[in-house]
Amino acid sequence: MGTEKIKVIVSKVGLDGHDRGAKVVASLLKEGGMEVVYLGMYQTPESIIKAAIDEDADVIGLSYLSGEHLVYTPKIVEEMKKNGMDDVLLVVGGSFPPEDIEVMKQMGVDEVFRGGSRIPSIVNYITENVR
Amino acid sequence: MSQGPISRSIADKSSEVNWDDYLKSYYEKPQSGRTWSGYELKEIYTPEDRAGENYKQDVGDAGDYPFTRGIHRNMFRGRFWTRREVVGIGSPADTHQRAAFCFEQGGSGLNTIADVTYEMGLDPDHPWAQQEVGLTGVNISSIKDMEILVGDIPLDKVSWSLITASTAAAPTMAQYVAVAQQKGYDIAGLRGSIQNDPVHFRYCGFRPACPLDLSIKLGCDVMEFCARSMPKWHYTTVNTYDLREQGITAPQEVAFGFGIAMCYVDELIRRGLNIDEFAPRFAFYVSCHVDFFEEIAKIRAARRIWARLMKEKYGAKDPRSMQFRFAVHTAGCSLIPQQPLNNIVRIAYQALAAVLGGVQSLHCCSYDEPMCLPTEKGHVQALRTQQILAYETGVTNVADPLGGSYFIESLTDKIEEEAQKVMQEVEEVGGMEEAIRSEWLDRRFELEAVKRQKEVDNGEKLIVGVNIFTSEAETCTPLGVQRIAEQSARRQIQDVIELKRTRDKARLNEAIERLREDVLQGKNSIPAMIEATKASATTAELLGTVREVYGYQYDPMGIIESPFR
Repeated sequence: MGTEKIKVIVSKVGLDGHDRGAKVVASLLKEGGMEVVYLGMYQTPESIIKAAIDEDADVIGLSYLSGEHLVYTPKIVEEMKKNGMDDVLLVVGGSFPPEDIEVMKQMGVDEVFRGGSRIPSIVNYITENVR
Repeated sequence: MSQGPISRSIADKSSEVNWDDYLKSYYEKPQSGRTWSGYELKEIYTPEDRAGENYKQDVGDAGDYPFTRGIHRNMFRGRFWTRREVVGIGSPADTHQRAAFCFEQGGSGLNTIADVTYEMGLDPDHPWAQQEVGLTGVNISSIKDMEILVGDIPLDKVSWSLITASTAAAPTMAQYVAVAQQKGYDIAGLRGSIQNDPVHFRYCGFRPACPLDLSIKLGCDVMEFCARSMPKWHYTTVNTYDLREQGITAPQEVAFGFGIAMCYVDELIRRGLNIDEFAPRFAFYVSCHVDFFEEIAKIRAARRIWARLMKEKYGAKDPRSMQFRFAVHTAGCSLIPQQPLNNIVRIAYQALAAVLGGVQSLHCCSYDEPMCLPTEKGHVQALRTQQILAYETGVTNVADPLGGSYFIESLTDKIEEEAQKVMQEVEEVGGMEEAIRSEWLDRRFELEAVKRQKEVDNGEKLIVGVNIFTSEAETCTPLGVQRIAEQSARRQIQDVIELKRTRDKARLNEAIERLREDVLQGKNSIPAMIEATKASATTAELLGTVREVYGYQYDPMGIIESPFR
């Protein structure tokens, strides 16, 4: 990686407007030394993938709170596959049943952080696993 | 930087028992004497702290101005608070069923919440809506949906809280009134509330649906209509809860909430209403966070500030105009998915604070909210929490039981003083509308949210299961997971498509034209919305028509063109 900063896309997907978590994570990943592109609300799987490609991102971070994680995650994974983005880490955060964590990992999510996660644990995970 | 508590992870079984830690634990004491919002407290409060108090002027009995101790003299001896659990799930039929279930379990008020698509003003057939209909609430796109939601519930006998907060509250009110009228009820007798606080809702992700001018216009249309025609109805519950959920402090919650409330009050006065004509039905929706005494003090301070605002700033004469009446929603953001059954305890403490604070209506979160929408079991458990409080604990016996405590009175003064400082700050940036337009308020929210996270990250704020007494991550939700049936969403989409195909287009076009005309002429939009609703206009059509008159795109998401052009 050299001295280049890790570049992270942080985004919401769909209509869900609970963005406190996404904004806080974006802000503290920056403080953790990463370059963050915060896409904000009303993104689609396509718009997120396009941003990740345009920005040559190392990580995509998605934030869910309204039960939409099982709707949008497979679509994003599919778009990533279509675009050959094996080298991009896909990380999900937010509120969902623990039962769905394994489901999302099966879909192709690299790591999942629930509410109540401490930010240093996210920074560490990304630093150690970025491809 | 504090040393933090003796860090213990229940999951960490790798090392031998360290008895020195047990000894340390025995002598352990709280790591700070500060409140959740960060105010340093003394170790004891005494009569000296109250030496300057003028009881009659600053505190007063419950039922007396400035209502610090409560808005009714006999408080819960007169009537319990309304036990109301928020319900919104899948289709109108699903939501009706769960709401009726909560009623059967002893709930005393209905409380239904809109989903994101409804709040955004999108019909289920909108491309952005199709994936998300019913995921977080109920979508009502037409009078038919409202008929199904109401079902056999007698509207003249129940108190119904309609949680639509955005500009879509105007269609919601129209839909509720239209159904009530069709069923033959006199709307003057309807009892309940509508959230109708579109100004605050831009901070909950609904900015496209809530431009500031339109938020004040439609919000006040609902308020004015109800103030004139529905005297028992609370036409807004200004939502300080959602603001608090952004991470702000207790005094900021009061100050920002009142700033937004005054946007509406000022507009209603501009419209020529007398303060005493409408203020007696003004209401709030308040958070109860986890710092027990601070929340009680916050509520008491809010009552005093509101009373004085109404009397001194707005010249209210009717004591009812000065009464801060409020519902409490226990703090969703204080709940965590780690060791989730602990949430039941957090919620119970918060509910107790709300009741000791003199709440009028209470929603207890379900323990499972950090994981999913409430399950049926979660809903019942939350309701039981309220019932145990109401029927077992004796907290209903005496009004404001903590009043007169040297500490509580001092903390009430402190929160009032801090809230007034924040209100002054808002004045200095040019008032609340300017604070919103210039995004000053956005920046405050972001700043505070980051602070809160750092407090948890560095152990300054302790949360059991997060940064103390942690355990291995759960793999399942104790009482099961609430899922939304896919067919519910599909049916909603099909229903609205079918409605749009089969309704009387001439009658619809005429009703929409009248709505457009009324808004153009600066009239209140609600009567025309009611008529258009009866002509099967949909939520998106009502809102889109008004949006266009105000110079906004018909579709908040900018995809669909108006079908009426």
